[in-house]
Amino acid sequence: MSKPLKHQQAAMLSYQEIISTLEMLKNEHLDVRTVTLGINLFDCASHDLGTLQTRIRDKIGRIAEALVPVCDQIGDKYGIPIVNKRIAVSPIAVVCAPLGPDGMVAIARTLDACAREMNVDFIGGFSALVEKGIAAGDRSLIAALPEALAETERVCASVNVASTKAGINMDAVLLMGRAIKAAAERTAGRDGLACAKLCVFANIPQDVPFMAGAYLGVGEPDSVINVGVSGPGVVKKAVERALAGHPDLDLGQLSDLIKRTACKVTRVGELIGREVAELLKIRFGVVDLSLAPTPNVGDSVGEIFQSLGLLAIGVPGTTAALALLNDAVKKGGAFASSHVGGLSGAFIPVSEDLNISDAAAAGHLSLEKLEAITSVCSVGLDMVALPGDTSAETLSAIIADEMAIGVINKKTTATRLIPVPGKKAGERAHFGGLLGESVIMAVNNGAGPNAFIRLGGLIPAPIQSLTN
Amino acid sequence: MTKVIISVLGKDRPGIVAAVSRVLFERDCNIENVSQTILQTEFAGIFIAGMPAGVTAENLHQGLTAGLADFKMYVQVKPLAENGSPAPPPVAEPFVITTSGPDAKGLVARITAVIARYQVNVTNLQAVFKGGSEPGDNIMIYEVDVPTHIDQQRFRQDLQDQAAALGLRLTIQHRDIFSAMNRI
Repeated sequence: MSKPLKHQQAAMLSYQEIISTLEMLKNEHLDVRTVTLGINLFDCASHDLGTLQTRIRDKIGRIAEALVPVCDQIGDKYGIPIVNKRIAVSPIAVVCAPLGPDGMVAIARTLDACAREMNVDFIGGFSALVEKGIAAGDRSLIAALPEALAETERVCASVNVASTKAGINMDAVLLMGRAIKAAAERTAGRDGLACAKLCVFANIPQDVPFMAGAYLGVGEPDSVINVGVSGPGVVKKAVERALAGHPDLDLGQLSDLIKRTACKVTRVGELIGREVAELLKIRFGVVDLSLAPTPNVGDSVGEIFQSLGLLAIGVPGTTAALALLNDAVKKGGAFASSHVGGLSGAFIPVSEDLNISDAAAAGHLSLEKLEAITSVCSVGLDMVALPGDTSAETLSAIIADEMAIGVINKKTTATRLIPVPGKKAGERAHFGGLLGESVIMAVNNGAGPNAFIRLGGLIPAPIQSLTN
Repeated sequence: MTKVIISVLGKDRPGIVAAVSRVLFERDCNIENVSQTILQTEFAGIFIAGMPAGVTAENLHQGLTAGLADFKMYVQVKPLAENGSPAPPPVAEPFVITTSGPDAKGLVARITAVIARYQVNVTNLQAVFKGGSEPGDNIMIYEVDVPTHIDQQRFRQDLQDQAAALGLRLTIQHRDIFSAMNRI
């Protein structure tokens, strides 16, 4: 037989393959959630604020200039939208270590201006890593957080206060509780919006493409492209279709189905991310294959629980279902890509997911249940609106609990808590856009003092950390 | 060896390919390539075969007609043009165009007219027409080779304009996204 012609060499696509891909795009909200360009700023170091600002602006401008146009071009080529383009920089507490809090605020404004010029919706990396102790630059950044986050639109901040290797820095936890409270007060007119751009982490990954936790870690290259895919709607529809066709499927088979679906979604991210990186002549980093919801109907993680047969997220069975979901997503994604990183699992952001915020409003989902399920999912207490009278100490205590889960279980956990000034449990908070809106959740002994938290110090690293 | 191209068309049933290949074997012909498809109840097959000296397209046609007498097939045999190697095709990228929407006369003609205007070649065509105006029910899939030198933006725009005029939803995406998602 003679050699096949070019168009025959790639085997012909089947009708089913084409239609199922189109269905995912049209009806199931398959998209590339974010392409995040990491830019290392360590070579911008200077004692002088003006020099720092100029160098940072020049470097970001030079490297990120083509990001948005290239993403749009590749999105058109494949018919899959790249919904968000973002930038993540090296931890500012290190880059700008010589500055005081005022200098840090000025740098935040510089970053905000860069984000606007480059037309990206968020710039992450206004960050500090303080799991073992707080250095001068870290202290300045943390002190600057309330003003920096209130005065800027697009800057995202993250502070790593704990790790399995180091333990939990309870002094930092207390500082963060106070910073969150202050940031909320400064944005009281917008339901504490500043807090929606601040995450407190245990075991923060160096290459998360999603906000607000994105920053460029120390061992990373000078610039890198990391991709975040998403597709909770795709997973939900796959489960629904399968159960409609075969009602006798068991959880093992459903887990396999979710795994295969996650694999497809991750392949999209890999293909598109690599091509964006190639066109920009920047290294490709990782695909983060998290199921990240948006407030749009049908783009919800909460709905996946319902398709699995739970009344709503939060009822008994939720933790087991999430364990299955998170694991299946990781396995599917791991097979699809050689470079998987970031968080890679299921997100449970209360306000960003319409279904989850409804479940909270209906009383199915409490703060305590949320905390329990963070032991098996990738993120933590994300976009949780709390009563305005929650004390800084209680906020710190909630953070401490979440950090403990991460540290002991050798996983990443985080909190993005928003005490909404002037509002009480049961009322609604409105953050707008992708940040959504949700009911305010009740906190046990929320307004009260907490002498335990005031003790401070370092909760030592657990024995699990002795792996050498 | 002279090469011929053989087309066979007729009602599908088991044994057609066996009958054709038996005739070719008996005349010492070599099958070089073959493509075969079934559309509704009809069989269509194209065979490229090399004939040894002494066999002509005429007598191959007679042999096939006789060999397929029971099947009542339409057979055509013609020599494959021997005018040297063809001009190399332009450098192109594979894309997949789909249209979905209510069935209408002229649908394929109008879309393929745009495709042809830009020197884009259709390499594979699949259709699922269920008739009527259930939008999801009438889907055309055109796999095409888009030369890299054409104005891609205008091509896309013209396609979208034509689709809108026909009341269709049209997508055009690079082929790799389908293979990436569905193939290991």
